[in-house]
Amino acid sequence: MTQQFGDAVNAKVIMMIGANSAVANPIGFKHFLQAKDRAGTKLIVVDPIYTRSAAKADLYLRIRSGTDIAFVYGMLHIIFKNGWEDKEFIDTRSYAMDQIRAEAAKWTPELTSDVTGIPVDQIIQATTLFAKNTPSAIAWSLGITQHSVGSSNTRILPVLQIALGNMGKKGGGLYIIRGHDNVQGATDMGNLADSLSGYYGLEDGAWKYFAQSWGVDYEWLKGRFFEKKWMNEKGYSLSQWWQGVLQEVKTYSSAPVRAVWIQGTGITSMSQQAKIKEALDKLDLVVIAEPFVNEAAVLTSRKDGIYILPVATQFECEGTVTATNRSSQWRSKVVEPLYESKTDEEVMFLFAKKFGFYDQFVQGMKMGVKDGKVVQVKNDFKWPDDAVREIARTIKSIGLSGWTPERLRAHQENWHMFDPVTLEGKGPMKGQYYGLPWPCWDDKHPGSPILYRRDVPVAEGGMGFRNRFGLEHNGVSQLADKSVTVKGSKIEGGYPQLTKENIEKVLGITLTEEEKAQMGGSWAMDFSGLIQQKAREAGVCVYGNARARTIVWEFPDPVPLHREPIHSPRWDLVAKYPTYEDQPKNFRVETKFKSEQQKQDWSKDFPTMLVSMRVVNLSGAGMLERTSKYLSAITPEMFCNIHPDLALKHGIRDRDMMWIHAPQGTKIKVKAYHNHSVTPDRICMPYNFAGIFQGIDLSANYPEGTKPYAIGESSNTITNYGFDVITQISEFNAGLCRVEKA
Amino acid sequence: MSNEMSRMKFFCDDHRCIECFACSVACAEAHELPTGISRRKVITLFDGIEGKEVSTSIACMHCTDAPCEQVCPVDCFYIREDGIVLHDKEKCIGCGYCLYACPFGAPQFPRDGAFGAKGAMDKCTMCAGGPLETNSEKERHLYGQNRIAEGKVPMCAAVCSTNALLVGDAESVSTIYRKRVAGRGKGA
Repeated sequence: MTQQFGDAVNAKVIMMIGANSAVANPIGFKHFLQAKDRAGTKLIVVDPIYTRSAAKADLYLRIRSGTDIAFVYGMLHIIFKNGWEDKEFIDTRSYAMDQIRAEAAKWTPELTSDVTGIPVDQIIQATTLFAKNTPSAIAWSLGITQHSVGSSNTRILPVLQIALGNMGKKGGGLYIIRGHDNVQGATDMGNLADSLSGYYGLEDGAWKYFAQSWGVDYEWLKGRFFEKKWMNEKGYSLSQWWQGVLQEVKTYSSAPVRAVWIQGTGITSMSQQAKIKEALDKLDLVVIAEPFVNEAAVLTSRKDGIYILPVATQFECEGTVTATNRSSQWRSKVVEPLYESKTDEEVMFLFAKKFGFYDQFVQGMKMGVKDGKVVQVKNDFKWPDDAVREIARTIKSIGLSGWTPERLRAHQENWHMFDPVTLEGKGPMKGQYYGLPWPCWDDKHPGSPILYRRDVPVAEGGMGFRNRFGLEHNGVSQLADKSVTVKGSKIEGGYPQLTKENIEKVLGITLTEEEKAQMGGSWAMDFSGLIQQKAREAGVCVYGNARARTIVWEFPDPVPLHREPIHSPRWDLVAKYPTYEDQPKNFRVETKFKSEQQKQDWSKDFPTMLVSMRVVNLSGAGMLERTSKYLSAITPEMFCNIHPDLALKHGIRDRDMMWIHAPQGTKIKVKAYHNHSVTPDRICMPYNFAGIFQGIDLSANYPEGTKPYAIGESSNTITNYGFDVITQISEFNAGLCRVEKA
Repeated sequence: MSNEMSRMKFFCDDHRCIECFACSVACAEAHELPTGISRRKVITLFDGIEGKEVSTSIACMHCTDAPCEQVCPVDCFYIREDGIVLHDKEKCIGCGYCLYACPFGAPQFPRDGAFGAKGAMDKCTMCAGGPLETNSEKERHLYGQNRIAEGKVPMCAAVCSTNALLVGDAESVSTIYRKRVAGRGKGA
């Protein structure tokens, strides 16, 4: 998220697309409602379903799922045609907008309407409102990311904001809303298969940098891998790890996956439940380490080789969590872990001891920087303080250097000294923003509540766009124009990211021999902190001041393109807007795209669109909340919202049971709720249930006393096959199905 | 805070209420209510109908001229000086007259077994307990927490995620709402 929620009050218009934060992030949604009340902010909601958020909108647009790119191009078409774009911003701070303009030229309101299902007049009305009342902001969530074109979706919306000059401003920007506690923190820490923490990637340079910070030998790290090449390869993703076990398609690893350790993730909220069940059954070993019984343990029918370890809840742990606006918060321990449960870190320490690498595992917490080098500075460590110090020392890529345990504790202990709307500190906390939203470049930096502001000095949270993709492309400079000077900067206009090699030239300084000896190769790998120190003196941001690129030349679609979902209800459009070629290898597996999409006209046998949603009382797979009787009482059973016209066509009365069939041959049996939030061409259901699988009650699989108050079919049993071409997230939010009376 | 005589009122701003259920769940948790007893309910009308859907939270409205008090055959109700309507569960005979008189469906009755609803009535106390000794174990057992006596906001409004549910002195509640309506230019 480029903004923080309190800034919503500065937006004249907020467009929510693929997000239902009234349900998925109610506290965040409060800020949008507050903005409506206090500043007359208009709310546009674009969603396939008339959601609780839509009910609060000034303008609601019912979009066909999987057509977001077409919709945004439809907006851009109108914007460019009328000259509503911010020409100066485009010329001075962006790159390749002409290519976007060329694609947008195709998307007339009539074509956009045909593809998206939104009436022409509504497209024009929403675009006019959004483009002519800047600053305007966009909010999105999983409705945007969970598509086979999810990675393009997440690019076209920032492109719209760049075209309108809505970036780097109060009241503008992007609200990318996280729906669970510390999702931002988990991402920042690289709980992913394709990167070390802090988005450093998996190249040798990154491993060597981390080896230094962890105080371990790079060769030792290398030796932990079966072969060196796996060190630099992505692992299996959460979406398709099961292929590593079942190996039904071509996979890439030294051996099949034989064990899975599940800690802090609800794998029953992932798609392809039938495959997950098969994989769980086939593994040699399944370990589940969670506060509640993860329903992976219930889904599998295995009788042996499965262990459930009780892990402490957040109230029994101490540490930091990162909120959706990039700010960190210290969290205190309320009680000691109950009964025999252990904290997450203790479980991991014991694991490391058992497998003989405990000393190396905790070494990073004993290290510190002396004369620019990472050396051991103590013989023991204190949890979690020294873990937080390790993060601050290492993760410079997103500016976590200023997140010291002392500062974060002081913020938590002094809530009353911060303004809840602007996050500005008062009294002793003056000059800091609550939670030090990253980037927080050093221990004097106040944090950056709004990204890319050039009207604020770097030392107070300002910055240009990051210089991440080279100095030029096709002969065009990637640095910001001469006119784009960040306030207080010694350098006029754009400048490259700082390295040891260019710092003297860029900043016009001369380094001493001692400084040269201590300085790391680049700003993101400089333990000495000297690059940041020199940058601070010059009012410069270490990562440069560049142009925002609107095309990504490494991706299959450099310019984002509309492509029909893998299972599209519009067979007539599949030929015109086909999906990608099949992908031979991503996250170690082969993935089908075109061959699945064009195998047959799926819409003939599966004519109804399938959309998932969240219910407000349940999160993720819902295991935690369904153990609460009060929360369960709100939605005691799994259900599906179905329009009465569709339901009655199939003889399904309100509250009748119905079967829903998916193209991959799976099915679920759920209760039909006649509802008008859906149109007769689509159904919608929550993804937060488990415990019933394809009509079979799995109650007997719960360990005694652990069955939640509410169980039900998981919608993910019928989530269609389909994955994003870059991130491999499942296509949860566009698919097809067939309904039938049970 | 006004200097006038205070009169405690609830108000739910339906432009803000998003049916998140925080109020009713927090109420049930705080007072350890049996399931089936809804001191506070969250309802959505015209569910899914574009332009008409509305959500709100409803509980005892602590009426000035409380119909429950007027129809009670055993006079178990009493109205505090600050306007909070309470009742004496030990006097209540569970006849249900109050339920029929109440325009909001606030009175709740225990649901034991398949057929019925027997026992003393239960309802929202605005977190002000009952006639027993303040903060005594028995008061807590029969009426739930007495947060008002501790100077705290009633549980439901304290946890409202969008500040839709307002509670307090009627003048203050009305001032907050008036500002919102003025900002919106509609909604009164």
